[in-house]
Order: sequence, then C-alpha cells, then structure tokens
Amino acid sequence: MSDVLFPALSEKQPDSEGVLSAWFVTDGETVREDQLTAEVQVDKVSAEVPAPQAGVITLLVKEDETVVQGTPIARIT
Amino acid sequence: MTTSTDDRAPAPGRGELDSDTRLRLYRTMVLSRTFEEAVLREYHADKGPGFDIGKGLVPGEMHLSAGQEPVAAGVCAHLTVDDAVTATHRPHHFAIAHGVDLSKMAAEIFGRETGLGRGRGGHMHLFDPATHFSCSGIIAEGYPPALGQAFAFQRQGSDRIAVAVTGEGAANQGGFHESLNLAALWKLPVVFVVEDNDWAISVPRSASTAVPSNAARGAAYGIPADRVENDADAIYGVAGRAVARARAGEGPTLLEVHTLRLWGHFEGDAQGYRGDLDDAPQRDPIPAYEARLRADGLLDDVSCGEIKGQAQARVEEAIAFAKASPVPDPAGARSYVFA
Amino acid sequence: MTTTDAPVAPELRGSHRLTTAKAMVEAIELEMRRDPSVFYIGEDVGAYGGIFSSTTGLLDTFGPQRVIDTPISETAFIGLAIGAAVEGLRPIAELMFADFMGVCLDQIYNHMAKIHFESGGNVKVPMVLTTAVGGGYSDAAQHSQCLWGTFAHLPGMKVVIPSNPYDAKGLMTAAIRDDNPVVYMFHKGVMGLPWMAKNPRTLAEVPEGDYEVPIGKAAVAREGGDVTVVTLSLSVHHALDVAEKLDGSVSVEILDLRSLVPLDREAILASVAKTGRLVVVDEDYQSFGLSGEVAATVTDVDPGLLRAPVVRVANPDTPIPYAHALEYAILPRQDRIETAIHRVTRA
Repeated sequence: MSDVLFPALSEKQPDSEGVLSAWFVTDGETVREDQLTAEVQVDKVSAEVPAPQAGVITLLVKEDETVVQGTPIARIT
Repeated sequence: MTTSTDDRAPAPGRGELDSDTRLRLYRTMVLSRTFEEAVLREYHADKGPGFDIGKGLVPGEMHLSAGQEPVAAGVCAHLTVDDAVTATHRPHHFAIAHGVDLSKMAAEIFGRETGLGRGRGGHMHLFDPATHFSCSGIIAEGYPPALGQAFAFQRQGSDRIAVAVTGEGAANQGGFHESLNLAALWKLPVVFVVEDNDWAISVPRSASTAVPSNAARGAAYGIPADRVENDADAIYGVAGRAVARARAGEGPTLLEVHTLRLWGHFEGDAQGYRGDLDDAPQRDPIPAYEARLRADGLLDDVSCGEIKGQAQARVEEAIAFAKASPVPDPAGARSYVFA
Repeated sequence: MTTTDAPVAPELRGSHRLTTAKAMVEAIELEMRRDPSVFYIGEDVGAYGGIFSSTTGLLDTFGPQRVIDTPISETAFIGLAIGAAVEGLRPIAELMFADFMGVCLDQIYNHMAKIHFESGGNVKVPMVLTTAVGGGYSDAAQHSQCLWGTFAHLPGMKVVIPSNPYDAKGLMTAAIRDDNPVVYMFHKGVMGLPWMAKNPRTLAEVPEGDYEVPIGKAAVAREGGDVTVVTLSLSVHHALDVAEKLDGSVSVEILDLRSLVPLDREAILASVAKTGRLVVVDEDYQSFGLSGEVAATVTDVDPGLLRAPVVRVANPDTPIPYAHALEYAILPRQDRIETAIHRVTRA
C-alpha cells in the first residue's frame, strides 16, 4: 500500500495550500505505476501526479478541494 | 568598388576570375536580357489601343529585370539546382540564371497549361521544384520561406543553401528584419541578396531608408555584409565568399548590389518621376561587360554573334512553345486548391 | 453522406482519461515518435510547454532540435515552417493567439495557403498551424477572439476546431498526416487548464494508441428531434448544458462541426431536414462569417426545409469587452442559447 501525496510545489512555504484540479482516474480503478492520476495546482504552478505503484486506487479528496501540500490525496493497495 | 563591413579575406578581384567563368557570366546575362526583351515585345504587342493591362496574350502586371542581370548571374554561378532561390516580383533573371526551364517558364508567363504552375501562378508566382526556385509577389515575404528551406537542408545534413532575394525597398519591411535576426541566431545557410536599384516603384532610396546602405544593417544583426556595384565579376567574388560561408555552416551573409533598373517598375510605368533615365543606357551593364571581355581578348564579333544567336534561338523556342500550348480549361479553375 | 460519431466500443479498450490539452499533446508525441520529420516550433513551446499547455512535456521527450522556441517573429518563423514543409519536413508551427494573425497573415494566407495552387499542384506545404482561440476569462478584445470565420474564408487551408479530448487527439493526428496546410484552432476553454474555470466536459476517455478523426466530417454530439443546434468548440459544451436542462421539454440535436474547411454541409442539411429548425451558435463575430455560411448552406439547397427563421447566437460584431459582465453579455453562453431554442421552437 502507498499514499499518493499532494506534491510539494512551493519550497519556500511547505504549508502552502493548493487545489486538486482534476482526477484522471476514478475511485476503485486499477492503475499502473506512473499512470497519470491527478493534476494539482498551487498558485500559478500546476503539476501532474503519477501513481507511485500499481494497484487499486482509493480517492481521498474531491476535485476543487483545497489541500495542504504533502497531504495524502489517494491511497493505492 | 566593394565595401565590406568585416575583415575577411578579400574577394577575388576582376582580374582573378578565369575566362570560362567570365564567359559563362556573359552568356547568362545575354540569355536573360534576350528573354526579357522578348517578353517586353510580346507583352506590349496586343495591349492597344492605348494600354489595357488586362488585354493580350500576356495580361496583368509585368516586372522585367533589364539592367539587373549581373546580380543573378554572379550569385547563381555558385549554385547547383539543389540549392534554393526565392526571388521577388521581378524574378526572371534569377530563374534563368538558376536553370529554370525556359519553355515552362515562358508558358507560365503566357498562362498556359504547360507552364510551371499550369497557368495558375503567372509571372510573379513561378515555382520550380526541380531547381527549388520560387518567387512571391509580396515584398520581403520571400525571405522567411527561404529560411525554412535552409533550415530543412541543414536538418537533412547537406551543404545545400538558400539564396533569398529582395529589393532595397523591401529592406524596410518587418519580415526582412525578422528574417535577418532569425537566420543569424540559428546560423542558417542563407545568402541574403538585396538588389538596390535605387527605386521602390517611384520612391528613391534616399526617401525610404534611414541609413545610406543596407549593407550597414548587417552589423545590427551580427551578419557580415558587402555592398558592390553592378559588375558581374565583383558580384561573383562576394557571392562566392558568402556561399562558401553558408555551406561551411558559418551562417548567413548579406549582399547588397547597387544595380540598375533600366525599364519601369512595371510595364506601363511612364517613369515621369525618374531624373536618371537619360544616361541609363550608358550604365547598361551588359554592353559594358562585353566591352571589357573584348578588350581582354575573350570575345570578338564572331563569338559574340554566336552567343547572341544562341540566346535568340533558345528564347524564340521558348516563346513558340508557350504560344503553341493550350490555354487552361475553365472547368479546371477550382483544381489544385488542396493536394 | 452521413454524420460521423466518434466510434466507441473497440477503440476504448486501452484508454485513459485526459484533458483536451493532454490529448492534443499525446497526438503530437505519437506522431513525432512515428515520423522524424515532424517538429514543433513557436513561442514558449519548449521549456514552458506552450502557454495553453499545447506542448507540455514534449521538450523533455524530444529535445530542443525538435521542440523549438523562437524569437517573437511570427512572419519569420511561420515562413520558415512553410519553407521547411516545401522541402519535405512536417512542421507544426504555433501562432500563440489567433488574435496575432495580423502580424503574420501574409505568410499564412498568401504563402502557406496558396503555394500549392500557384504551383499548379507541383509544390506541397504539409504543415499544421496551431493557435489558441476564444474568450470568457477577461482577456479582452485583442486576446479573446475566435476568428475561425476569417481563416475559413481564405482559400487553400483546412481548418479544424476540436471541442473535446477525443477529437483533439484524432484531429491533430489527421492534421499532421495531411499533406495540406491545416489550421488547428484550440479554444482555451476546452483545454482543461487548471487555471481556468472548471469545465467537466474537458476531461474524457481517449484511446491510448494512434487514431485519426476525419477532417471535414461533423459529429452529432447529441441526437434530438425538435431543433438542430449547429455549433463548434466551447459552444458545444454550452449547447449540451442547455440540452440537458431542456431534456423532457425540447428534444435538442447538437451538431459539432469539428471542421470548417472542408465544411460538412451534408450533415447540416440532414439534421435540418429532420428537425426543420436551426440555431447556429458561433463565438466568432456574427456578420459576414460562419453563422451566415451555415444558414446559407440550408437556403442554398432548400429554404423549404425551415419551419422557422434561422436564429444565430454569435458575437454581435463587438470587440470583446474586458469587464466580466460586459464580456458575458457578448459571448454566446447558455442563457442566449436557451432563449434561441425557445424562439425557434415557438415560431
């Protein structure tokens, strides 16, 4: 099992909040390692979130939800 | 006289060109002039009474290159048909010097189905893939596609180059400046040629250009530049250096030639604005070049007669081919929009 | 000729969810892998990935020889793309905003679009001109235009305008493979950019391998019987919103044109023959453009097909205002589309 974390896009302020802009996978989907799971955004910087391992993904946050960077946004088992 | 804006090895002077080259330059210029004289006759033959531009076997605008032959001859002598040339609305001398088929070119000028563009392009839009020759009726806009051809040649790993031609009036158009910068930035194998014939239609260079010569503008783009007079040998010299630079991957050169527009900007141009027409015949470069070759023992009455006779025969053959060729069928007017 | 829907079942095996932007990039990536003569050139297309994410990741994959940043010299680099295409390469040149066409239009409409014709078919220009279009995010008059009517009006270039991820990928592949110049216009509002207002229709399943969507064929985005809405690009999303809202009271058929050149006139006629009522939704300027062309497509053939006058929902010939309320009064959004549908069905 592993957590999928909201990437740390702001190095200066580790507690920065961002937005989960879009999920590219659905809750319960089987994903491959490195498959694109989500796109997130902190201020003007956006980033893609690849799956750290293969498995079944459980989504922990909703689209457009505000998330502190470093927080788990999904879990893969 | 040659003025250069850098300190490279000097271009070969007049006396250093070999005889074969000089005779070749002369032949090219004679062929070009003979063709233009034929087109002039054909163009005006049936426009009357008065002057109706849309009338006759060669309707529309006509921009002839009499007086500017040395530029085409001197530059194209260094090229093969695998090199690209993009010319202007006044393209015939460059097309001829670069080896475009004379009959197909004549047929296109006459708007025939056997023409280079099947009659779709006309005299300002001559395209010959066999020699990578093209021209455009839009001032300065032939420079950017030349960059692209040079870019492709570079990509393909060859030492082929592109020669891009404009007039001195075009040197004030945005595309000219963008092209110089981009070619210099990417070290594209281009030779930029500016034919300064003193007149942008009716506007003299002194009334259009803030600097005394466009060769001076080369420095603004980091491009070596030369300005030479309307002499085939001098042009051959600086062009050879520029072409060698491009082939060696050293980037573009700007060549400005102070040439001579013997006739109007277009046929039908009364040229009332020109005060320099009275002595223009004395400045005609071809008789002057012929006189020098005679003085140097390279030409006499017999050989001159042969060269002119051969040119006449080739031109007559081309014009006859054009006149005998079919006019395009109107049912095909919408063809060739898309591949 | 019938309209063409996106075929579903077999292709979706091996598919993934992508935004329109990512689908466009995936098409470019697959073609660049397949064909070494393809390259992408434009402003900020390298490290930045295109200001509307048209080339994200491509520089890392293919390097600066094939994903090329240029100076701000549209005439020079679009002209360069033309010359390169003439000599056998297959460039994709990006005009950052269609609004910038003014500075380089000569190379586009007098050279790119005409060289094949002027040469009697002897010279080909196999290039793609990509460009961002559209408003709705307060970018005002010089950065929000669509202008596809202008490009479509000038002969010699194909024009394609995808509204969704599947078509974005398929049309890009088709455009790159086409030996003609193809103008590929992507609306910023359909790209699925995280920094623009959320739009759920910008994310969808896209097959993983390569496939083409045919240029010149419209798609029925929604079937219906009471009224035909002919539209394209972001307006397809808005029309779908309205159709869903009216579900049960008005049966709305939506035709997504996808291409303007060639224009799928048969699809327009087939739909109007069925419903008898036509609404055209076009974010471009109303007069002298696409919406009039769609109406004429019907009246040129048979005005009797129409049971009511055609209603056009377009930009009312006004520069796009900056202030949000003003901009949204000018754009052909859901409210104006719904009003038009009621007008044409009650007439």
